[in-house]
Amino acid sequence: MDRRAFLCSAAVAAMAATTSVFATPLGKVRELGVLRVAVYKDNRPWSWRKDGQLVGIDVDIAQALAKGLGVRADIAELVADESADDDLRNGVWKGGLLGFQPADIMLHVPFDRTFAARNDRVAIIAPYYRESFQFASAKGGLDVNAPPTQYRGRKLAVEIDSIPDFYLIGTFGGILAKDVVHFPSGADAASAVADGRADAVLASRAQIEAVVHDKGVTNVMRRTSPLPGFTSTGWDIGMAVKENSRNLGDAIEAVLTDMGKSGELQAIFVRHGVTYSPALAAG
Amino acid sequence: MRGRIMRSLMGIAAIALAAGAAPLLAEGPTDADLMNDASTTGDVLTYGMGPQAQRFSPLNRINSQTVARLVPAFASSLGGEKQRGQESQPLVYDGTIYVTGSYSRLYAFDSRTGEEKWEYSARLPDDIMPCCDVVNRGAAIHGDKIIFATLDARLVALNRHTGKVIWNKQIADYKAGYSATAAPLIVKGMVITGNSGGEFGIVGAVDARDVETGELIWHRPVIEGNMGTLRGKDNGITGKTNATWTGDLYKTGGGATWLGGTYDPETNLVYFGTGNPAPWNSHLRPGDNLYTASTLAIDPETGMIKWHYQTTPHDGWDFDGVNEFIPFDATINGKAMKLGAKADRNGYFFVLDRTNGKFVSANKFVMQTTWANGYDKNGKPIVIPAGRPGAPSATEKGATVFSSPSFLGGKNWMPMAYSKDTGLFYIPSNDWGMDIWNEPIAYKKGAAYLGAGFTIKPIAEDHIGALRAMDPKTGKIVWEYKNKAPLWGGVLSTAGNLVFTGTPEGYLKAFDAKTGKELWKFQTGSGVVGSPVTWEQDGEQYVAVMSGWGGAVPLWGGEVAKSFKDINQGGALWVFKLAK
Repeated sequence: MDRRAFLCSAAVAAMAATTSVFATPLGKVRELGVLRVAVYKDNRPWSWRKDGQLVGIDVDIAQALAKGLGVRADIAELVADESADDDLRNGVWKGGLLGFQPADIMLHVPFDRTFAARNDRVAIIAPYYRESFQFASAKGGLDVNAPPTQYRGRKLAVEIDSIPDFYLIGTFGGILAKDVVHFPSGADAASAVADGRADAVLASRAQIEAVVHDKGVTNVMRRTSPLPGFTSTGWDIGMAVKENSRNLGDAIEAVLTDMGKSGELQAIFVRHGVTYSPALAAG
Repeated sequence: MRGRIMRSLMGIAAIALAAGAAPLLAEGPTDADLMNDASTTGDVLTYGMGPQAQRFSPLNRINSQTVARLVPAFASSLGGEKQRGQESQPLVYDGTIYVTGSYSRLYAFDSRTGEEKWEYSARLPDDIMPCCDVVNRGAAIHGDKIIFATLDARLVALNRHTGKVIWNKQIADYKAGYSATAAPLIVKGMVITGNSGGEFGIVGAVDARDVETGELIWHRPVIEGNMGTLRGKDNGITGKTNATWTGDLYKTGGGATWLGGTYDPETNLVYFGTGNPAPWNSHLRPGDNLYTASTLAIDPETGMIKWHYQTTPHDGWDFDGVNEFIPFDATINGKAMKLGAKADRNGYFFVLDRTNGKFVSANKFVMQTTWANGYDKNGKPIVIPAGRPGAPSATEKGATVFSSPSFLGGKNWMPMAYSKDTGLFYIPSNDWGMDIWNEPIAYKKGAAYLGAGFTIKPIAEDHIGALRAMDPKTGKIVWEYKNKAPLWGGVLSTAGNLVFTGTPEGYLKAFDAKTGKELWKFQTGSGVVGSPVTWEQDGEQYVAVMSGWGGAVPLWGGEVAKSFKDINQGGALWVFKLAK
């Protein structure tokens, strides 16, 4: 037995010891004392930069989850790719082409059986919110509950290349197509209405509520009757961990349940001006 | 020995000439040198081996008789762990081979020994999202500068001797979805570039900058309704606002000019192709959507569009029209004509009058086009309505439409070559289709979305890739070479009756230009998706190509992936010459 072989076996023993400490993804998070959480970049009101600071509902939830596990949160902003399926690859199970390191957990992942089935490299867990689209207008500007065909000639704000965009451009034989004004995000579209640059907005409810809250405006009316032919009834939002990280997922779900019971989760939404709406799947 | 003395004497003569004719700032290739690149065999100064990008060399030492003796002279690794698709074309000048690598890197290698002289690695922000691998297609050289574009949509000019930055300019905002991967074109002291971008939110444009400073001279958006500029002043909108677009969609209409352009000194026109329109769902943007999926002829002095020809009006299949438009001359129906040719993503090979954009002919160069059945005499496609993917519905999965070519195209980015000797174009093409359907359960950035699902699939049992020799006068395929995996590399033709191209299986191959017979191949160790070049040095002819598998193909799975599942990544420059 020479010295080299001895060193080798020592190294193997050391590795084995390390592995046993990191036997599980949850163990690894606890051992390192840090939970790496992926959130979307530029996703107001969930995760966005306000005066350079990363803020938002998902950012607060990420902090609370880490605290619940007794570790520090390392929050990483993920640039959205062409589909949420791609985001799971970049954010959770493989990492990005430009060096984005996979996170332990990713927030704001659609909680949907069909979507989950085709993304089997991850486990989608912990549904924490029910999102839906909302139509709103500047008070007095137009009748927010009228048939949309009456909105011809008004400025209708949407996020480009979104369901609201497809709906307003394509429905009613396309007669509203030239009235649709496009913005990079639903929050920008909502801001345009709050600032008087557009007459109405079709965006997510959270985007509209948060902008109204942040700007402190009172001039925005929300539609209460359904939009004719608008088929999206909303979707649940959850989280994703790697397929082999289910024990981490279980621990996260336990923390989230406690947050719901104590009212901490609801309080986070309130802080950002958004009405908390529990996921249907959580009910 | 004699060769070396001759060469140094020539060097002295060249310096004397330069001193007499041009100021010393030249200290490297001049505008005139770039324009003559196709006939100067001692160097490769431009992407395309000449501003017309014919990729034809008059060299013939390596020919159909001698090519069997072609052996490696050296190989140079790009090193590092950043081994993604190497789609670059080398430049050769003054004893140096300049080549770009994946992740926006540029290398200078000694052209005799392969030793590295310097390398430059762009520091890329980590929040860029390139759609189709982290590739770069090549550099441009002018005077003391070597210039290339980076993935974060910047243009960088380096000192060609040292690799030190001379200027570094943002050409578009990567945070708004822009990128850049094409080789710049240099015309009359201007660097002319296009832009790349994601599938929505951007507007394609062609920009001209001062080669000495990088300052913008003109900017020409390619979507109607957007304002161009010349020397800081408005210079007229492109086309006519809302003529073929509804509402404000023209402000985000797509049409990225991501493959760069060609230039023809005879007509003094710059030719750029434009990408597909946005949004992807064609039912939301009735009209032709000009000038997407088109070839544009632009005046290099002013940035004004002189003519356009749209290859896919109202695109609904992701048929970018970005492919290179190669000027050539031929006699058609007894008339000598100034022509240009383009092999389009949509599966058709177009011949146009390059002086005015008038349609001459369009012929299929792939096995199948399900979206159209040829072109009428006015140059409009005879569209097959059932071949258009349907409008999305939020409630149910739409009917599946089979579409061929697939959205990766009958020909993608990889440049074809034109031989002045045979009068044939050599097109690196692919025969594949796709099933496409509306996907109601789709999500984007965590929000519900109406997407399209698709699977790319082969349409022949024995091949996907096919190198095809097209006679531009008759529209007939003269010969074809079939390859199991998709072809993704550029083509080179030479006066030695040879055509070179690479394969994902790792080979650089040489074919008889007249018959298509495979005469030579060499295994480079990884897939070849770059463009080969040839030049003469010390009395010998050399051939160089990049090896390194990647690009858009491996990003898509399905049945097609079976054809390349065993191909490994790499990153090396291979240089060949004849064994003595």
